[in-house]
Amino acid sequence: MSSVLEQMSSAVSNAPAVLQKMKRNTGCRMIGFFHPVIPEELIYAAGIHPVRLFPYFDDSITLADSQLQTFLCSYLRAEWDQIVKGKYPYLDGAIIPRSCEAVTFLYQTWRRHNPYQFIDYINVPWKRSENAISFFAKELGRVKRDLEKFTGREISKDSLSSAIEVYNRNRELLKKVHDLRKSKPPFISGLQAYHVVMSSFVLDKREHNGLLEQLLTELSRRPQSLKAEVRLLLSGGCVIDSRLWGMIESGRAMIVADDVNNGSRTFWHFVEDRTNDPLEALAKRYATVPCGFNTSIADRFKYISEMITEYEANGVIFAINKNCESEKFVYPELDKKVKDKLHVPTLNIETDYLIDMAPLRTRVEAFVESLKV
Amino acid sequence: MVEKKKRERPAFNRSIAAAISKHYKDVQTNKPMAYLLMASNPLVEIAYAARIQPAFPENYACACAAGHASAGYCETAEAYNYSPDICSYCRNHLGYIYGPGENPPTGGIGEPDLLLITSSACTHYFKWWDALHEIYGKPLIFINTPRVMEPQSKPDFYMDYAMREIEQAIGEIEKAVGVKITNDKLSEAVKLSGEVVDYWQKLLEMQKAVPCPMDYSDLSNALFVLIVLAGTQEGVDLMRETYNETKQRVNEGKGILSKDEERHRLLWINIPFWYKLGIFGYFEDRGCVFPLSDYTHHIWGTTRMDGSKPIESLARKALEGELNTSVDDQIDKLLKDAKEYHIDGVIAHSNRSCRVLSVGMLDAVDIIREELNIPALVLDCDHTDERVYSDAEIMNRIDAFLEMLA
Ligand code: SF4
Ligand code: SF4
Repeated sequence: MSSVLEQMSSAVSNAPAVLQKMKRNTGCRMIGFFHPVIPEELIYAAGIHPVRLFPYFDDSITLADSQLQTFLCSYLRAEWDQIVKGKYPYLDGAIIPRSCEAVTFLYQTWRRHNPYQFIDYINVPWKRSENAISFFAKELGRVKRDLEKFTGREISKDSLSSAIEVYNRNRELLKKVHDLRKSKPPFISGLQAYHVVMSSFVLDKREHNGLLEQLLTELSRRPQSLKAEVRLLLSGGCVIDSRLWGMIESGRAMIVADDVNNGSRTFWHFVEDRTNDPLEALAKRYATVPCGFNTSIADRFKYISEMITEYEANGVIFAINKNCESEKFVYPELDKKVKDKLHVPTLNIETDYLIDMAPLRTRVEAFVESLKV
Repeated sequence: MVEKKKRERPAFNRSIAAAISKHYKDVQTNKPMAYLLMASNPLVEIAYAARIQPAFPENYACACAAGHASAGYCETAEAYNYSPDICSYCRNHLGYIYGPGENPPTGGIGEPDLLLITSSACTHYFKWWDALHEIYGKPLIFINTPRVMEPQSKPDFYMDYAMREIEQAIGEIEKAVGVKITNDKLSEAVKLSGEVVDYWQKLLEMQKAVPCPMDYSDLSNALFVLIVLAGTQEGVDLMRETYNETKQRVNEGKGILSKDEERHRLLWINIPFWYKLGIFGYFEDRGCVFPLSDYTHHIWGTTRMDGSKPIESLARKALEGELNTSVDDQIDKLLKDAKEYHIDGVIAHSNRSCRVLSVGMLDAVDIIREELNIPALVLDCDHTDERVYSDAEIMNRIDAFLEMLA
């Protein structure tokens, strides 16, 4: 593995230690958030380190059950469990988006149990119309004022524009890495791409940009050694269990593209048109993120069909977490479209926090076998 | 052995039952027909102003559950890949679409010409209507409104957005059905809706009386009028009749139980088990009534409707119902109401289908229990999918609770 990829994967698996160290060294405030629909640039421009929240796969859920019923998404319950167990001492607060029900309503639970100083929410619109964008920009203005109150410092237009610059550069570089999966065979595996994206949720974006530049140089010099007899697209909500990515790729298949919250949805769209109002520009960009809860079946199909074609995927795996109701609701019709219109075979598997991979492996292997060309 | 009593139900139930039968005939015959959501929303009045016949798949799910058809419909939906994680209202409807069977309850709910939806409650609505849009290929008109997490400090631009969305939707509906929705027609519908709400709020006040005049089924019947007939003269007449009769019952000291029989006044949190409404009779036989529920009191009929400001009233209707606010708001209301309705115990349905009403409920129950010093029972179940309900388990837990209460 390249040294940069090693650094990235270690940042993901040791995220709490990495963040704790960053806090010690820089003394910066840190705010956690869920899903790719929160305009991180706002947090970054406030001089706060934004941390995308995902649970660490090392502990069974014990405390969360007294607040969150077991019929809610287990990733979210695991996350809350780890929060109440004090596993994120570096956090100063969180911003919760209106998104899947489990996350949306965590806002109140969070506020009531008050694990950290700052808590806010963002009403992410479920439309992309002019009305919706103008509303979203105002909502971001409200959150901006809340952040300014919290830090005692104004978020200037310049700092916002420069945050957008840094983030757009990050998107551009992530897209370049993602595009390396177009080639046959791909330059990096799905699991490696997973670590590349997930490390951007932990590290400072400027530092991450530096690593991505190094990575692109390293990869351009490296001979292609990967094999991909079967090229897959992975679709789901939060597909955050690295074991799953590794398991899918343990045979002759490779994940060459993805449609997941912790993958392409995070960096696919750029913040355009920054000349006038940066909040409006952010609103436009973040309303476009194709998450399960806010995106129509038609738009989701457009997103994944373009990807299937461009990355020449010959199979799709839907990996949806138990109780992830938005993704599960989209699945039947989306699946039908992929099969009927694109004639691409699909497999549907259900994930769960700390799930046993063995039964899933059997099904994935059979699916990959059926696709071998 | 507790005696199972046959109790005289208020007469308004017969009038409402007739209105329900008429509604299910109308949805089959009147055109154009649109599917609408139940959660407090502005589309009902707009539909009536446009002479569109509204139909409500959630209400249909309640009817199917009461007729014990839901489990089968949910199973059919699952065979079409709709996961059991999805709300059983939706699965019931999708199962009905894919396999209605020979004698669907109420004769069915018909095929829509139009799909009208808001985001005033859960993510399911948008997903559900979007799936229907794929299935039927009929126009989908979607009003997006923000969730009001902090009702005390709701920003003004939330209302502006809701109003703009409503205005835009009116234009889209006019185009879709080729009917002009004039200000006069809309004002009239909003005015009538306001009259229904006024009677409804006075009706709820009656529930504070001891003995309690209506049981849960009576109130949920009246909910049909409040939700489905909002904006019609028929709705006003029925709600007036319901109110007048109830007022008379209160004046005469008539209740579900007599004053001597009524020993406990309980709060029901969340949606009831529609396939097992008889459970309320079981409680009544043991001296318990349910004058208060978040479901009957805080989701609908919370907004005063002003015919002279139709768009503003409709926007407030979309934003103010409990399904569009927060659990904290719900807790505040329940704490206040529990005192006024003389509540001395809580049954909370932790409803695996409805996350909006269930997330945060465990905290809510703890807070109510502690602040009011009253016992509470949490039942894990589902409002429509009867397969989730275990009679032995639920009844054992209820019996233990009743013993403790005694
Ligand atoms: S897996 Fe689904 S339900 Fe869980 S947090 Fe992600 S989007 Fe929400
Ligand atoms: S989840 Fe709740 S609010 Fe949504 S459709 Fe089902 S019962 Fe209604």
